[in-house]
Amino acid sequence: MFHKILIANRGEIALRIIRTCRELGVRTVIAHSTADAQSLPVRLADESICVGPDDARSSYLNLASIISAAVVTDSEAIHPGYGFLAENPAFADICRACGLTFIGPSPEAIRLMGDKAQARVIARQAGVPVVPGSELPLKDEDEALDVADAAGYPVILKAAAGGGGRGMRIVRSRAEVAQALAACQAEAGAAFGSSEIYCEKFIEEARHVEVQVLGDRNGMRLHLGERDCSVQRRHQKLIEESPAPALPAETRAGLHKAALAAAASVNYVSAGTVEFLVDARSGHFYFIEMNTRIQVEHPVTEMITGIDLIREQIRIAAGEPLGYRQDDVRSTGHALECRVNAEDPVTFVPSAGRVTAWLAPGGFGVRVDSHLMAPYAVPPFYDSLLAKIVVHGHDRAEAIARMRRALAETVVEGVKTTIPFHLKVLTDPAFVRGGFTSVDSARLTAP
Amino acid sequence: MARARRARLPASGPPGDERTVELARRLATLLGELGLSEIEIESAEVRVRVQRAAAPVLAPPATLPPAAPDERPLVTDLVSPTLVTVEAPMVGTFYRASSPTADPYVQEGDAVKEGQVVCIIEAMKLMNEIESKVGGQIARILVENGQAVEYGQPLFLIDPQS
Repeated sequence: MFHKILIANRGEIALRIIRTCRELGVRTVIAHSTADAQSLPVRLADESICVGPDDARSSYLNLASIISAAVVTDSEAIHPGYGFLAENPAFADICRACGLTFIGPSPEAIRLMGDKAQARVIARQAGVPVVPGSELPLKDEDEALDVADAAGYPVILKAAAGGGGRGMRIVRSRAEVAQALAACQAEAGAAFGSSEIYCEKFIEEARHVEVQVLGDRNGMRLHLGERDCSVQRRHQKLIEESPAPALPAETRAGLHKAALAAAASVNYVSAGTVEFLVDARSGHFYFIEMNTRIQVEHPVTEMITGIDLIREQIRIAAGEPLGYRQDDVRSTGHALECRVNAEDPVTFVPSAGRVTAWLAPGGFGVRVDSHLMAPYAVPPFYDSLLAKIVVHGHDRAEAIARMRRALAETVVEGVKTTIPFHLKVLTDPAFVRGGFTSVDSARLTAP
Repeated sequence: MARARRARLPASGPPGDERTVELARRLATLLGELGLSEIEIESAEVRVRVQRAAAPVLAPPATLPPAAPDERPLVTDLVSPTLVTVEAPMVGTFYRASSPTADPYVQEGDAVKEGQVVCIIEAMKLMNEIESKVGGQIARILVENGQAVEYGQPLFLIDPQS
C-alpha cells in the first residue's frame, strides 16, 4: 500500500479521496490553487502544496507543476479525481516515466477511449452496438453530408476530443449541416485543442444508462451494475440513480455484458464507466463513450453495493487483487443522487457569491459529499458543484421520498442552487414512474 | 521512509507456534522502533509478515483544523510596507547556489539589481534561475537551501530603497 498519495484535484472529490486515504492509513498531500488555499480539503489533508494561481490552466491543469509537487513531497502516487488531468494520457505517461503511480487505467486505455470517434470503432469491433454514424472523424463537409444522409436526420455532431456532454450540436436537416459542422469545429478546436468531429444518428427520445466497471492488474474485471443519468440539462447530469428503473431484464443484462466487452477490449484496469443510450422507443441500446476515470455519480453505486470505489482504485493501483468475483457483488435497494450546483434553478446561470449558511441534510440513509463550509466564497474559476446529496432506500419509492425529505431540510444561503429544480423533477410523473428520457429533460429545463 | 524490507533468517530449528509468535512480537517492536509500516522475514521454514494496522481512528477534532496549515512566515507582520517580496513562481526545490560547490547567488545584506539571478528552483531536474524583480538590498532570505517550495511561497525580502 502507498505511504503517501498526492491528490491533484479540489472540492468534493478531493475530500472524498482524502477520507478513503485516511481509512487506508495513507498519508495525503493535496495540490491546490491559490483560490482553494482555505478550502476544506486543503485544511483536512495531511499536507498541502500550492501549485499555481487561480485559473485552472495554471494550477489544476499544470502538468509540470503537479508532477513537481508530487516529487518534492515524496508522494508515490497521484489520484487525479475527475475532470482536470484525470483523462489526460500525457499526464499518465509522465507519471509512469517519473516513477509515480497514476491511480487510474493505463495511458494506452485513456488514449484509446479518449478519442471518442476511435472508441466507437473499438466498441464495434468488440461486438458492442454503437449508434449508426461515421467510423472516423469527418474529413470534410461532403463526408458529413454523406454520413448524415445515410444515418438519417436528425444527427448529432460531436467533438472527437470532447466528451462529458460538451462540444455537440444537433442537426435536423441537410441544409444545416455545413454551418453546424463549421461551428462545431471552431468550438472543439478552442475547447479541446482538436477540431475533429464525428457524426451519429440523434436518438430523439433517449435514456442515458451507464455501467460501472472495475478491473485489477491480474485481469479480473467485473461490473457493479448500471446507473440511470437521464435527468440532464444540455448533456450535464443533474440527478442519477442506481439501479436503472423500468428496464427489461435482458436489456440490463445486455448492458452489463457490453460494458465488460468494451472494457476488456482495452485491457481496462481501475474504475471506469461505459456509457450507453437506450432508445426509449425501440428499446435498443448503443455505446456512446467510455469514461476512463471515477465519475461524479459514483456514490449511488457505492450505496447499493457497499463497495468503496475510491478504495478499490487505490488498492488496484497498489497492485492488490480485487479479491472478489462477479458473483460476490450484491446490490440492495435503490440509491439516488442530486447534484447541488451554485446555479439558478430555472435558468441554470451560475450563481457566484459567498455561502453564508450551510446545513447539510442527514439521518437514516442520507449521505452528503461536499466541501462546503459557511462562510465560503465559491470560487468562480471552476465548476459550480457545491454538494452531492445521496440517499439510499429499500426500494425506489422510499429513495425518492427520502431524497425529497433530505432536500427539503437542506439550507444553502448566499447563492442560488439547483435544489428547487431537483424537487420539481422528483415530483414529476415521468420521473416517479421511471423511464425518464431526454424529452422529459428538455421539457423540465425549458426556459 | 516506511517501506517493507525483506531479510533472510539463517535456518534454525523447527519453527513451532511459540517461536513464530515470538518472532512476530519482536518484528512488531522493530516496526515501531524503525518507523516502518511493514516487515516481512523469510526463513527456510516460515515466512512472517508484520504490518501496521490502518491508521488509528482519529478522534474527531474539537475544532476545525486551522485555516492556514502552511509554515510560511506571516511576512506582512514582520516587514515594513516598502519591502518587496520575491515569491516562487513554481513548485520545486530551492537552492541558494547554481551547484553544491558554488557560492550562493546572494547573502542577506547584498545589493542586487533588477533581473539579477537570486536563486535556483529545481523542478523535474530542470534548474530554473529566479530573478529579482527589483533592485535593492536583500533584507531577508526566508527559505533554506534544499527546501521544497510551493507556488507563491515568499523566498526573499528586498528593500528597494537601498
